[in-house]
Amino acid sequence: MTTKSVLVVDDEKNIRLTLAQALEPMDLRVETAVNGEEALQKVRQQEFHLMLLDLKMPGVDGMEVLRALCQLRPEIRIIIITAYGTVENAVEAMKLGAVDFVQKPFSPKEIRDLVSRVLSRERLELSGIQGYGGHIEWAKRCIQERRFPSAEEHVRKAIGLDSSRAEAFNLLGALLELRGDESNARKNYRVAYTLDSTYRPASANLERLSTLPRSVGRIALDTRDKL
Amino acid sequence: MRATSQYIVVVGCGRLGAYLANQLSQRGHSVVVIDVDRRSFRHLSAAFSGFKIEADGTEVAALRQAKAEKADLLLATTRRDNVNLMVAQVAKQALGVPRVIARVFDPEREESYRGLGVETVCSTVVAGDTFLGRLGGEEQP
Repeated sequence: MTTKSVLVVDDEKNIRLTLAQALEPMDLRVETAVNGEEALQKVRQQEFHLMLLDLKMPGVDGMEVLRALCQLRPEIRIIIITAYGTVENAVEAMKLGAVDFVQKPFSPKEIRDLVSRVLSRERLELSGIQGYGGHIEWAKRCIQERRFPSAEEHVRKAIGLDSSRAEAFNLLGALLELRGDESNARKNYRVAYTLDSTYRPASANLERLSTLPRSVGRIALDTRDKL
Repeated sequence: MRATSQYIVVVGCGRLGAYLANQLSQRGHSVVVIDVDRRSFRHLSAAFSGFKIEADGTEVAALRQAKAEKADLLLATTRRDNVNLMVAQVAKQALGVPRVIARVFDPEREESYRGLGVETVCSTVVAGDTFLGRLGGEEQP
């Protein structure tokens, strides 16, 4: 297997250092960028399989990097780094093919586990998909490839196999929100929150849906009709 | 990163907490410092490469925010015995942190910590022993 390459993008030196150190024992080539501009510049010059991306950066922020990557290098997989207490727009990120999030602070093991999971998702075969976890991973792969209807189908299958997981209902909520069904999206976020009140993505989505003006939510749905 | 690198939560960023956080961070551990007062973070050195969380460490929510349930080690280093005891208890009992070390001032309290499975460092005893050590043989009968 060829060595995969990872680009770590964060304006905080500490975070870049921590991430690079965490990835050290893995067989990966790790590069860093201090802001969105540098990240896009590096992406134009070199090949990367994965990007660990901070959303909040001065200048070209994480969301703008995601938008640019959609055009430039849609095959690069993304892990979004978020800060505690921020209500990031997970649905907006998902629309751009980013479905994996890690919240600060993180332990090195947490980072390594997530990076391995994201990279090994590439090797999944539809015929080998099994169980709740298999369908969720496949759904995430579909989201990364912007195949949202297939993603929804597999999240529903996952829920059919295990209806006790907050993550699945939250994911379904996000997919519903993405195609404009805010009311059902909210119901699913609520189920996720009820199943696990400490599952932050669900509470963040609920909070966002109830605070954003509806028109803003709609803007995020432009690509829907093209699917 | 070295295989021995640990995920460590330090509660309290006074002189002791900051000293420990700085040292542990420089040794390659992943460190999260929690303090209720953000001004305390000024004690951290430029070489500190961990995370800072402004929150009340006696709140479970704050410890969860620091992902203490994933920590290998938690150090309770505030200046108050009661606070350290509370933090240590939550970390050990509710979050299942494998190793918890608490700073304690009152040597008589060490017993109650031991009952919880929490290790202690008693500043009073440590300082007292250092004083006695300096005196060397002078104190021997």
